Amino acid sequence: MYKSFLSWRYLVARRTNLIGIAGITVGVGALILILSIMTGFLEETKHTLRGSLADIVIEPSAFDRFGNDEPPKPAPYLEVVRNNEYVASATAHLTWGGILAREGTASVASSAGMSGTLGNGMPIVQLIGIDVQEELAATDLRASLLREPSDSDKTANRIAVEDPDHPFRPPSDVAQDDFLRPWVVVGERVAYENRLHRGSIINVATISFDSRGNGAQSNREYRVAATFRSGENDADSTRVYMERDALMDLLGDRLEFSQIVVRLKDYDRDKDAARKSLGEDLVAAGLLGQAGLVWEVRTWEDLRKNFLAAVKNERFLMAIMLGLVLVVAGFTVFAILSMMVTEKRRDIGTLTALGATPNGIMILFLMIGFWDALLGATIGATIGTLGAINIDAIERGLSQMIGFQIFDRNVYMFDHIPAVVDPLAVAMFVLGAFVCAILFAAIPAWRAARMHPIDALRYE
Amino acid sequence: MSDPALSNQPAVLTARDVRKAFQVGDRSIEILHGSHLDLFEGERLCLMGASGAGKSTFLHILGLLEEPTEGEVRIGGKNAWKLPSSERARLRNLHIGFVFQFYHLLPELTAVENVIIPAMIAHAHGDRKMNKAQDKARARDLLIKFGLEQRLDHKPGQLSGGERQRVAVARALFLDPEILIADEPTGNLDTATGEAVLELLLDEQHERKLSLLLVTHDDRLSSRCDRTLYMEDGQIQADTSVVIPH
Repeated sequence: MYKSFLSWRYLVARRTNLIGIAGITVGVGALILILSIMTGFLEETKHTLRGSLADIVIEPSAFDRFGNDEPPKPAPYLEVVRNNEYVASATAHLTWGGILAREGTASVASSAGMSGTLGNGMPIVQLIGIDVQEELAATDLRASLLREPSDSDKTANRIAVEDPDHPFRPPSDVAQDDFLRPWVVVGERVAYENRLHRGSIINVATISFDSRGNGAQSNREYRVAATFRSGENDADSTRVYMERDALMDLLGDRLEFSQIVVRLKDYDRDKDAARKSLGEDLVAAGLLGQAGLVWEVRTWEDLRKNFLAAVKNERFLMAIMLGLVLVVAGFTVFAILSMMVTEKRRDIGTLTALGATPNGIMILFLMIGFWDALLGATIGATIGTLGAINIDAIERGLSQMIGFQIFDRNVYMFDHIPAVVDPLAVAMFVLGAFVCAILFAAIPAWRAARMHPIDALRYE
Repeated sequence: MSDPALSNQPAVLTARDVRKAFQVGDRSIEILHGSHLDLFEGERLCLMGASGAGKSTFLHILGLLEEPTEGEVRIGGKNAWKLPSSERARLRNLHIGFVFQFYHLLPELTAVENVIIPAMIAHAHGDRKMNKAQDKARARDLLIKFGLEQRLDHKPGQLSGGERQRVAVARALFLDPEILIADEPTGNLDTATGEAVLELLLDEQHERKLSLLLVTHDDRLSSRCDRTLYMEDGQIQADTSVVIPH
């Protein structure tokens, strides 16, 4: 009892102890705040990426088709995939690359994309041919069509879809022309960067290859029916959706599909089993080679693993760097306690004379480290958690105060700063603060315990 | 040459052939050369000697604060320096009260809190149940008895030297030890204050029938003791027994 009683008195009597407590507060608070934002960013990014892809993407190897005049049909693949126990829905995608020129440019070569100081503005787009009804069941396209831009997004150029169930239908408010150009849905940033509006005519050029590898240039004109906003910058600034038939036509019917995209019944539970099972089913049906088990059937996480790994890695590095703040706080605790042990030599001798054991003396000084950690970690965890929960309001307030936008929502296309407070992580940081403070307190506490009572009593 | 009446009492503390040597470089310097001592129940024993005679070292060995190189110290029949350090700490806590020349109060605590610290330590040893309210009440009573009713919640820095030493005496007596060791208890006080503190100390010793071991330079203090031992060059030189009616 005297240990907790005296250690608390020593703590409150010396204001220098506040420095150690403040250090731990800053360390724990910063760890929770920053890593909550990083976790939120990761979760939000995962959500966005998953929405713009699908649970599982099956891409039969392009090399299998070499020398085969008849392009593979999606139907046999879809049949096998839809019969799999884990699959909720599936559809075929035909994806291809193209160069986009907007209405009014004389030719693709002279389009705005080829110009510019660095020549880096070339509007290379990803063309995705879809079967609309199947697509709406298998991916988040409907949500992307309906998602509205945030108020702060200055680059938003939304062209609202008239009927999300039929996004390629000619809009009622646009006059039809005689050319019967197919209608497309473009990413919101594609529309912004190319100044497109409902009914804009775009010219898309591409090169397609026959089964012997001979290339042929082709181009078609399309009209913009609507935009979508997936939240993934890459998708929203490069993607153009059209009917799969329309894209097959652009490619000279040389290719009918390039991917089967799959929605699972329960992705988080079944992803590994489904990936393996789908690969085995397709190999058994003779639709994929053995390699299909390894890389032709991939989850969306496999497809974005480098990006996700980079974010996770950043989060880990950030945790290490912020953990160093705790170590610095630990050194402060060490320095303050070392001074205190020297200052309290006489008290140590007195307590020994009154019957305290060396272990008791050691615990007394360790408890000062414990109080430092308890106060610092509690205050830090409270500030960090409240800060993470209210980070948007804090950021807006600070931005207004200093007249500078701290978090540019357009960079990430988030309309808020994502933050996820993980209670387990908070508990880990608090535990880390305790371990750190007590470890650093251990050396001065051990020195106090070894102090000879007579030397301590003679100390005047 | 102890008083026969005293020697009939059981010794609460005995020391036999106590030697103490300190290592200075590669040399061993012996400070105590085999000293003996018996402290009887209820006895006032004064230990005198010139500075450097070894009396403080002897006192620290008897108070279980410094380990002898050779010899034994028995308290309550137990060879204290053969016990584990935790047991020795319990002996110090329960059986010995210390009064130091420089008071050695804990500056962060009030007078009352300083007095109950030995009880808190006894509680940590598992020797005593802690009832803080009751202990505080007892400490207050003791301090009021010592004339400190206005100083109960003052910290040592707010007390005079005499008041601090009274608090130190109250702390030493709080657990009712059998032995009271006082090292120059009036050495840091003016004559009048020292006299008052000494009176208080001796009154309590008499009232509680404590065995008092008093180290002093002051002849006036030794005249108030039952026996006086003189220490010179690390040995007890003389044993003077007087009978003082308490």
